[in-house]
Amino acid sequence: MKTKKKKFGKIFLTAVLFLFGIACIFPFIFMLSSSFKPLNEIFVYPIKLIPEHFIFTNYTEVFSEKYNFIQWYGNTLVMVFMIIVLKIGIVTLTAYAFARLRFKGRDVLFLVLLSSMMIPPDAVIVPKYVIFKAFGIVDSMWSIILPSIFDVFFVFMVRQFFLAIPETLSEAAIIDGCSHFKIYSRIILPLAKPAIVTMILFTFIWAWNDYMGPYIFITSPEKQMLSVGIKMFQVNNAVDYGLQMAAATLVLVPILIVFLFCQKYFIEGIATSGMKN
Amino acid sequence: MTSSLRRKEARVAWLFITPYLIGFILFHFLPIFLSIILSLTDMKYISTADQTSFIGLGNYFEMIYDAEFRNAFKNSIIYSVCFVPLVMVVGLLLAVLVNQKIYFRNGIRAMIFMPYVSNMVAIAIVWSLLLDPVDGIINQTLRALGVSNAPMWLMGSKTALITVVMIAVWREVGLQFVTYLAALQDVPKELKEAAQIDGANRFQLFRFVTFPLLKNTTFLLIITSIITSLKNFTIIQVLTEGGPGNATTVLPLKIVDTAFSSARMGYASAQAMVMFVLVMVITAVQWIGKNRSEIY
Repeated sequence: MKTKKKKFGKIFLTAVLFLFGIACIFPFIFMLSSSFKPLNEIFVYPIKLIPEHFIFTNYTEVFSEKYNFIQWYGNTLVMVFMIIVLKIGIVTLTAYAFARLRFKGRDVLFLVLLSSMMIPPDAVIVPKYVIFKAFGIVDSMWSIILPSIFDVFFVFMVRQFFLAIPETLSEAAIIDGCSHFKIYSRIILPLAKPAIVTMILFTFIWAWNDYMGPYIFITSPEKQMLSVGIKMFQVNNAVDYGLQMAAATLVLVPILIVFLFCQKYFIEGIATSGMKN
Repeated sequence: MTSSLRRKEARVAWLFITPYLIGFILFHFLPIFLSIILSLTDMKYISTADQTSFIGLGNYFEMIYDAEFRNAFKNSIIYSVCFVPLVMVVGLLLAVLVNQKIYFRNGIRAMIFMPYVSNMVAIAIVWSLLLDPVDGIINQTLRALGVSNAPMWLMGSKTALITVVMIAVWREVGLQFVTYLAALQDVPKELKEAAQIDGANRFQLFRFVTFPLLKNTTFLLIITSIITSLKNFTIIQVLTEGGPGNATTVLPLKIVDTAFSSARMGYASAQAMVMFVLVMVITAVQWIGKNRSEIY
């Protein structure tokens, strides 16, 4: 009797939370379904998620030569790739020094780095513009790439991970006369794969989704990134909602696929870094 | 021998961190430093930087009487005051519910977390369709349910700010939710069982056993949520562009507008300093509050 009641409770709560979950992803479902609909079907009430006339023209139109969509896609992919590669090198090397090497002022320096995480990035946009202008990187991809590779959060996260790797492993290597660079590249890095994967995934999502950077620093339409590109797209095609939905879907699909396949890394990455602070 | 090894180790360490430090100084430290200096000048734009002069605290005095700045400041405060408690409470509530005995836990967790990774611009396009006052599905549903004056959502000067906050909570709550869920799963079972044997009901169990164990997580999440809530340029720019009128113009939008549309970079930097001070004060208050509550 009691177990039956318990089982009912479990099913009931599952159903409620499942419906809530569906409500959370409803905007994505609506977007996907609208992108295959002709304009006059999008606002039909009550809503039909399966289009009556299934069309692909919204997609072919988005990719047509009228818009820079393919160019923006390419720019964004190149930018994301550059950020990931450079960030892995710089962040892991720095994290290794903070986790495994002793030097004067290390802990104070680390604290200074950490405290800079409290600065809301939206507040430093004006001085950043002035500095980038002086470097001559305004309206270039480097104005997005350079600031994001010197990341503080991931130095912290990767350092935590390195600290958890047993010291005895590298001590043996030191006695054998290995240089620190060898220990870093041959012993520590291969062991830190989970942390690096988490870093790659978050970097990919953040760089792909960044809007303020390209909005402020990139001025030429052909150098623009996807986020700002689809905003211009929305403004220029104010009433063609099917077209807008197709563009939005094309921006969201890569990240949602990455998320669905690697959600373990995302969720564990957030949970562990949140806990250890 | 050992001291020379030590010195060698320190040399290697500096070699390893120098590239990072240079970047950090150029892209993180220098902007803040420059912001303080610019805030004391009347710099207009980069092309006319040579005509800039030092005006002391002039920008700061101007802010006090600037109605547009005060409006942006007020909107930022309203946004944060609504966003932070909402995102914390909803995140904790969802974590507690999903932590119960349910089927399909990982699937539900993924669905709630999904908006967190989505592209804000793409999502803004979708939401503006869903929330369209006339044709949007939400208002069509409300009218079908008999609501005669359905809200204007993003288009209404009274409703726009709170609508943005609700969309922000939908998008950001995944972080609070997932962090709380992980913390809840770390609560030792023995503690709960002991309390249950002592006759604690579910609410008491949560109030006196679970919640105190979540204190560090809560502290950390509040700080993160506050900083997130001040980092709202993107969400507002893509949803409302600060409108209708100035109804959703928050500090980051005002700063960008002052610097680039009105070409007053010095004044914009002074406005940005107000944001810094705000974050510092809130964090300090939180920190003191946390340490005090630890005493007993």
